[in-house]
Amino acid sequence: MADYETRTRRFTRAEYERLIDLGVFQPGEAIELIGGELMVAEPQGAPHYTAIRKTAKALEAAFGPGWEVRTEGPIGLDDESEPEPDVAVVPGAPEDYARAHPSRAALTVEVAESSLALDRVRKGSLYARAGLPDYWVLNLVDRVLEVYRGPVPDSAAPFGWRYARSEVLDASAGVTPLAAPGSSIPVWQLLP
Amino acid sequence: MKQAERPGLHRWTRDEYERLIDHGFLDEDDPVELLDGLLLVKEPQHSRHRTSVLLVARAVERAFGEGWFVQTQSPISLDDRSEPEPDVCVVRGSPRDYVDAHPTRPALIVEVAQSGLPLARGRKATAYARARVVDYWIVNLIDRVLEVHRQPVRPGPAQRHWGYAAIETLGADGTIAPLAAPSAGVRVADLLP
Repeated sequence: MADYETRTRRFTRAEYERLIDLGVFQPGEAIELIGGELMVAEPQGAPHYTAIRKTAKALEAAFGPGWEVRTEGPIGLDDESEPEPDVAVVPGAPEDYARAHPSRAALTVEVAESSLALDRVRKGSLYARAGLPDYWVLNLVDRVLEVYRGPVPDSAAPFGWRYARSEVLDASAGVTPLAAPGSSIPVWQLLP
Repeated sequence: MKQAERPGLHRWTRDEYERLIDHGFLDEDDPVELLDGLLLVKEPQHSRHRTSVLLVARAVERAFGEGWFVQTQSPISLDDRSEPEPDVCVVRGSPRDYVDAHPTRPALIVEVAQSGLPLARGRKATAYARARVVDYWIVNLIDRVLEVHRQPVRPGPAQRHWGYAAIETLGADGTIAPLAAPSAGVRVADLLP
């Protein structure tokens, strides 16, 4: 009974894409579909946007040719989720995704200020459920990078999965993406 | 987690909500209502719930008489982000007065609640008080009582949300007169299934 209020109408990804095509949302409304729920993204402050650009540039250099670094682009994650991670690295080139959004990313990054709890718990669980192997939360509050890896089932998590390993790296540390094992990126290069 | 603690959820406007209906995402049978921008799934209709709704509709129709009409589970336009469908509403005039737009201010709203009791007392009471609905009743099927909510008050130092200052609970042997039909007496026993 206490849960009753939490029940809102859920949307499938197909419905969500039709809503966008029909122009139901206000232009520029930053919405993403997370587990059937329409979530409003964090407003873009200057540090947030700067962090996105710096992270995208650093990842482009680290991954090199054959990879596409997307910023705030949709991922067709599952039937009820179409998140728009701040940065995602996917195989191939832009034209490979002309007909459909990518469904998986080799590396997914969220830049978090006020959205820290959402990014760690709900999105972390959603991305773990989809089997995304490498998930980073760039924490602007504490100026650290949180690295999440190893998706495992956990019935207590919002979407039934979580990451088994997490590591917190400060600005002076270096990080190596799982899919670009020869590279090392200083965390300060990502921070605004 | 309560919706109130989920600030990241998209809030729908009434315009967007009506477009969802126009485009066929929601139809009349969808158990959904818009409250504070949230598309809330309505309480399932058990036969006890449905019986009480019909009893309430009949009792208030009799109490109000000419010049009023009673609508059940039909939309009202409360504010820019709320288009709820209360179980029973008493509205001034006749149905044809609202052929172009939903009613906005019923003289009386009644919700029949079982599992939806926290919602009826919480978010719905807040929204109805904010819209200055002066007479709001909850038929509480769990305790078989009628909760009468009156005197909408704006948030003050004591409370964060709009609410009702006067809340009275009447047992099955009680009688209540609607504020807008003060000479009529409605027996609580006549509202219970």
